[in-house]
Amino acid sequence: MSFSPDTIAALATPAGTSAIAVVRASGPQVAGLVSGIFAETPLPRMARHADYRDARGQLVDDVLFTFFAAPNSFTGEDTLEISCHGNPFIAQKILEDLLARGCRTAEAGEFSKRAFLNGRMDLSQAEAVMDLIHARSERALAAANQQLRGSLGRHMGLLISQLVNILAMVEAYIDFPDEDLPAEDRQSVLSELKELAAATKQLIATSHYGELLREGIKTVIFGEPNAGKSSLLNRLVGRERALVSAEPGTTRDYLEERILAGPHALRLIDTAGFNLAPTPLEQRGIEKTLEQAAEADLFLWVIDATRPLPGLPPAVAARLTTANTIAVFNKTDLPPAPRGALPQDFPVVTICALDGAGIEELQTMIARLADSFQVETGDELIAINVRHSHALVQAQQALESAGQKLSDKTDTELVASDLRCALEAFGEISGKVDNEKILDRLFATFCIGK
Amino acid sequence: MIYSKTPFDVIVCGAGHAGVEACLAASRMGATTLLLTGNIDTIAQMSCNPAIGGQAKGQIVREIDALGGEMAINTDVTGIQFRLLNESKGPAVQSPRAQCDKKAYQLRLKHTLELQPNLQVFQATVTGLIFEAGKVVGCRTNLDVEFYGRTVIITTGTFLRGLMHVGQNKNEGGRLGDFSAKTLSASLLEAGIELQRLKTGTPPRILGRSINFSGLQEQKGDPEPTLFAFHDTRGAEDLFHVELTGERRLGWTPGTEQVSCWMTYTTPESERIVRENLHKSAMYSGEIAGVGPRYCPSIEDKFVRFADKPRHLLFLEPEGRNTNEYYINGLSTSLPFDVQLDLVHSIPGLEHAQLLRPAYAVEYDFAPPTQMFPSLESRKVENLFLAGQINGTSGYEEAAAQGLVAGVNAARKVRGEPPMIIQRHEGYIGVLIDDLVTKGTIEPYRMFTSRAEHRLLFNHGSAELRLYEHSNNHKLLSYNRLSRISAKIKAVEYWRAFLETTKSIGGTWAELIRRSDPKTELPAEFLGQTKEIKAETLYRVKYRGYLEREYRQIEKLKDVEKINIPSSIDFLAIPGLRRESALKLHQFKPQNLGQASRISGVNPADISILMVLIAAGKRSRGSPGIA
Repeated sequence: MSFSPDTIAALATPAGTSAIAVVRASGPQVAGLVSGIFAETPLPRMARHADYRDARGQLVDDVLFTFFAAPNSFTGEDTLEISCHGNPFIAQKILEDLLARGCRTAEAGEFSKRAFLNGRMDLSQAEAVMDLIHARSERALAAANQQLRGSLGRHMGLLISQLVNILAMVEAYIDFPDEDLPAEDRQSVLSELKELAAATKQLIATSHYGELLREGIKTVIFGEPNAGKSSLLNRLVGRERALVSAEPGTTRDYLEERILAGPHALRLIDTAGFNLAPTPLEQRGIEKTLEQAAEADLFLWVIDATRPLPGLPPAVAARLTTANTIAVFNKTDLPPAPRGALPQDFPVVTICALDGAGIEELQTMIARLADSFQVETGDELIAINVRHSHALVQAQQALESAGQKLSDKTDTELVASDLRCALEAFGEISGKVDNEKILDRLFATFCIGK
Repeated sequence: MIYSKTPFDVIVCGAGHAGVEACLAASRMGATTLLLTGNIDTIAQMSCNPAIGGQAKGQIVREIDALGGEMAINTDVTGIQFRLLNESKGPAVQSPRAQCDKKAYQLRLKHTLELQPNLQVFQATVTGLIFEAGKVVGCRTNLDVEFYGRTVIITTGTFLRGLMHVGQNKNEGGRLGDFSAKTLSASLLEAGIELQRLKTGTPPRILGRSINFSGLQEQKGDPEPTLFAFHDTRGAEDLFHVELTGERRLGWTPGTEQVSCWMTYTTPESERIVRENLHKSAMYSGEIAGVGPRYCPSIEDKFVRFADKPRHLLFLEPEGRNTNEYYINGLSTSLPFDVQLDLVHSIPGLEHAQLLRPAYAVEYDFAPPTQMFPSLESRKVENLFLAGQINGTSGYEEAAAQGLVAGVNAARKVRGEPPMIIQRHEGYIGVLIDDLVTKGTIEPYRMFTSRAEHRLLFNHGSAELRLYEHSNNHKLLSYNRLSRISAKIKAVEYWRAFLETTKSIGGTWAELIRRSDPKTELPAEFLGQTKEIKAETLYRVKYRGYLEREYRQIEKLKDVEKINIPSSIDFLAIPGLRRESALKLHQFKPQNLGQASRISGVNPADISILMVLIAAGKRSRGSPGIA
């Protein structure tokens, strides 16, 4: 059996926080990757310490990498193993960069499959490999299905249906030139196409899950002035300082830090304290707080336990649910005021930001809530999501190119070629769309036939 | 009686468009061939419209020519109107189409068969097949004469238990005026081949001198006809090989004395007549069980399903030069005869039209094509090949293409050679057969360009270039023609490279062509090439980016296409395979991983598992799932 395989890449260690994460790539392109990323000649079986710079030259992490030359590797192909710091965000960045450099995300069990096909495993392992492919793919499939049942799936369904409509309109005039069809209306095809491209772009931009992965879960710390928000932020950040990089907030009105809670990356945002009767100066800070709250995934409501329960600005209150909010009663070292009834049955934790009491419990609680945002944390899941955004970007480019051709009055067959490219890309997310679907739509729309 | 103790290499049952190409291909490859037909006078009869080609079909006909078939040249020399469709949509989807003189078309093909060495034609109706040890060895006929053959190709069209409907009136037969092959179905069933019913229909024929053409819109042929056969690579030995035997010349110079078609429309009165009589239509009264084609709806369907469309376009197409019969394209129906008369008379120009033959619907048996290998040999019965409408297709071109492939493969089977398989990326014939054997069909299958994922590679002018590997490997063309095609391939490649690398003002010639703005005329040496070489070269230069995108996709798929699945594999016993996939694979029995991957419901992980399993089987005999 002969292969001319492409180069595949995937996370080799389980997703989540650990000391080290390993990203692996295998295939003919690997030697080129070593010189491209690290500007070094690949030397087999030598662990090298180097800076990982992405395709745009930005520093991602300092890593250890090892190159294995074919056939002396696990897969029997040229292989690269990159050990980076065990932050999912970093591993993800590296994986994305490898894809940008022309690698493909590995299918379930593909490294093992290649190892077997290249004769690196004996026959007795064949069945084990098959079971592995099966098990992993079931898990990946389950994760993908779970996701596809959600908003992404509904979005994809709509996009594909729109695209099939457009294709049917274009194909009808190619396949049935002698029919009595309504006059070809490139303008309306173009406007539908623009709509679809915009919707695709929006999906890429708002792809929430991808954002959670890339940017971390946006967590807003809010509460009255002096409730202890900044102490809490420092406390949470302090424990993780070795692993986080501080990023100053983009305005002076709030401060943003990255932390890890369990396996999750969090963007922790400290906001100006709100006050229901603010001075004009405070008013500006509160507006910023509201802006942040509008986009937040997770809320830490810091309450001064020594004071009566404060009221909430309605815009903030409307966003709070028991699934995204933790009520943090601070200052437990001081005598408490009588505790008022919370507006909802939020999970509650009592802490002392000054000495750190209760912080671990809070972290556990944050991790538990964050867990519910992710459908699964298996490695394939992350791969699926990088794949998603890749596919969507490809689709969007193909759609824009088709739109350009429609305006330029280029031959219809080339417009159709771009549209099919886009359909193929959508299909990578939600399953291949059979050509028959286009014909079905076409026959349902146009009276065709002699 | 037994006709001869020495079996023929190939017996072809049926002389429609599939049967004709099948027996020609087999006999031209040197196989002793017998063609059995129920009626020698209806060889290569166009049972429906008098036209060859059109969207995607035109490309198929050119592919048939590239593989040594007869349909293209026969259309060229008996065509009475030629049009190139889709001139404005881009070169890849342009398709030649021709109206043919039905009788001339038939006669020339009949004559071709008569003069073909290694081929014997005999008039007899096949009543059953003769099997021995699970293989077919011959057939029985209505004359009680048995014929023995090493291989048998069945090309029965709509004749297997054919039943025609005109309203409530029913007649057995595969075509108006012809018989029905009734007992052959039983023979196929006995061999374990599953049969199902399909339906198709044809419109009324009318007398030309009863048509009032004034006021109708004329549709003329192209002044410069686009022909189907590759005349540029044909020599004297290829061009009119029938005529060159010294026999009487048949046909005429292609493209001369073209005739016109005419356009008219249905009226509100037509709609009223159809609606008021819907209950009398065989289709609408539940008389017909078979599934009809969506792309060829009856006039009843058009009015019912597209009620907002005020009128429907009809074409009046002449059936030949020496007949006054016209075909009303677009008026297929199974309404009773009296309603048909009223309906025809409600149409402008046809107020006083005289009907020569009524419209009718015909139901017939077909054998779901997933029961075949891509060679078109039955999986159930060795040495039995099926081609044409019996495989659930529709159209002369689709039938002829299958006939050609079945004929070549039957001859190769007799010689003990592996079959010719045309891949999906090589041509529409590849798409056609792959769709049939891997996906099957629930309506009469017609080719559309949109079925082909690599449509941009299938421009009609490239057919003999892209299929050269097959025509050359299997020696389907004369030595001289093969050499000329090879030279043409080299010339196109030379000039393509020349234009890509030679500089002109403001870039290479190729860059200027792609920007559609060469500042000066292209080099004279290039302009001195044949128009076929120029057209193909410019196509490849202009569309380079798109063609490269196609090539990349094909490369990706090629690896899995090459991995054959052993026929001994038991999909149901493979550990790790999902149950749904295992059942689908068991049902369709793909022969390679490429086919397996195109079966809906089979996902990449399943393909991976098969790949591992097959590799394991190769490395050591006996592995899970392989008996």
